[in-house]
Amino acid sequence: MDQRELMTLQNYLQEYGQQAEIFVQQMQMLENGRLEAHAAIESLEDMLTSEDGTVLLQIGGGASVRAKVVEPEKVLIAIGAEVVVERTNKDAIEFLKERIMEMEASQKKVAETLDRLRAQMNEINKRIESGYQQAMASGQDLD
Amino acid sequence: MFGGLREKLRAARNRLNSSIRAAETAEPQAPSPAPLPVPENGAAAASAPPTFVDKVRVLITERELIVSGKDVADALSELEMTLLESDVALPATDAIIASVESNLVGKHRKIGESVDALVEHALKSALLDVLGQGFDLKEYILTHERPVKILFTGVNGTGKTTTVAKIGSYLKKEGFSVVIGAGDTYRAGAIEQIGVHAERIGIRIIQHKEGADPSAVLFDAVQYAGSHKIDVVLADTAGRFHNKANLMSQLEKIKRVMKPDLVVYVDEAVAGNDAVTRAAEFDKTVGADAVVLTKADMDSRGGAAISIAHTIGKPLMFLGVGQSYDDIVPFEPEKVVDELLGGA
Repeated sequence: MDQRELMTLQNYLQEYGQQAEIFVQQMQMLENGRLEAHAAIESLEDMLTSEDGTVLLQIGGGASVRAKVVEPEKVLIAIGAEVVVERTNKDAIEFLKERIMEMEASQKKVAETLDRLRAQMNEINKRIESGYQQAMASGQDLD
Repeated sequence: MFGGLREKLRAARNRLNSSIRAAETAEPQAPSPAPLPVPENGAAAASAPPTFVDKVRVLITERELIVSGKDVADALSELEMTLLESDVALPATDAIIASVESNLVGKHRKIGESVDALVEHALKSALLDVLGQGFDLKEYILTHERPVKILFTGVNGTGKTTTVAKIGSYLKKEGFSVVIGAGDTYRAGAIEQIGVHAERIGIRIIQHKEGADPSAVLFDAVQYAGSHKIDVVLADTAGRFHNKANLMSQLEKIKRVMKPDLVVYVDEAVAGNDAVTRAAEFDKTVGADAVVLTKADMDSRGGAAISIAHTIGKPLMFLGVGQSYDDIVPFEPEKVVDELLGGA
């Protein structure tokens, strides 16, 4: 394996690495969305069971205030396409559960793609290493 | 691809079917005939004069039913929610609902005709209306003066460079000669990335150093194509957001210098409605003649693919459906609709 081939393999590796990075970011976004939906479900359920309808409302910067939910039965929820609709508490929870299932399915797909990419990267890494070893053995200058 | 939307459309279609059927059964029925012995010889029966049974059968099977707006209102409202939940943009959703409604309501249907066929036809024609015609790149190249210069634009990280390589590979396989202009001189490693792609698929690339003026690189690519009788120039550019004025004016300059025949906007299908909004902004600022959506294989909702053509009025050209160079498919509305409504 000559120096040019080694450089090409390095480029491939770099490119796969960039692709993998994008998929890792997507995984992170999906995970954040999933956790957020779980938190929303928990809040919606608690709202119905809390005796006087008081909840802690986060207002940013780590600050929260106690707030009374006037209509815990009615929830405004973004369903997609920048459209917000009013749903009952129960329906909103159902909707969020469906969303979680969708996100988990997407996470599975992204994870599969990442695994494939990592396997390809391992393969390239092996070839690069064996190329270096061959070059070292034959005393080739790799700089 | 778009598996979630397919499932939801199946449910919406079943709901429409049952709504129409329920409305029909609620209507007063014709009196049922008294059972008569069935003649053993069919041929003899056919030539015999019409009996009372035949007359009643004609009355039932040829009577027409009319679907009213009330019959399908709930099912249409559910379909609307389904589409919005799948991130289909509001204007496209409205258009689909209006089309399905006009195809169903007031429709005269004979009892013998299948309700499912009626609903399928209504949904199919509504989806085809919003999906538009698609864009046949091969046909475009064959019917225009060469080199055909295609400029790719879009936001960062949506797979623009990979898409350029995939389209290059596709066109090469279709027998066209291609040159790639490495116009992304901004992002670190972008020139090497497109260089690796070009080498792998055996396409000539024109590149300058990182940080060079992209207009100059792409101008050189066009010059090279002209002097070497190349069919197509694929011009990669750096990803940018439409609200960055200086980067958008750089794109304007690129357009002035290389005079592209087609400006193709690239975004990812998984971005859903965001992709539609961004495409509209790009179209407003630098123009777009067609759209490519990447990562369609990862997109379960299909919102962007369904609504982009209708919302921005520009056709979808390709869908990116995987990691390898062959994983790009020309967007054919009929195929997409058949896939979405298939197996229902």
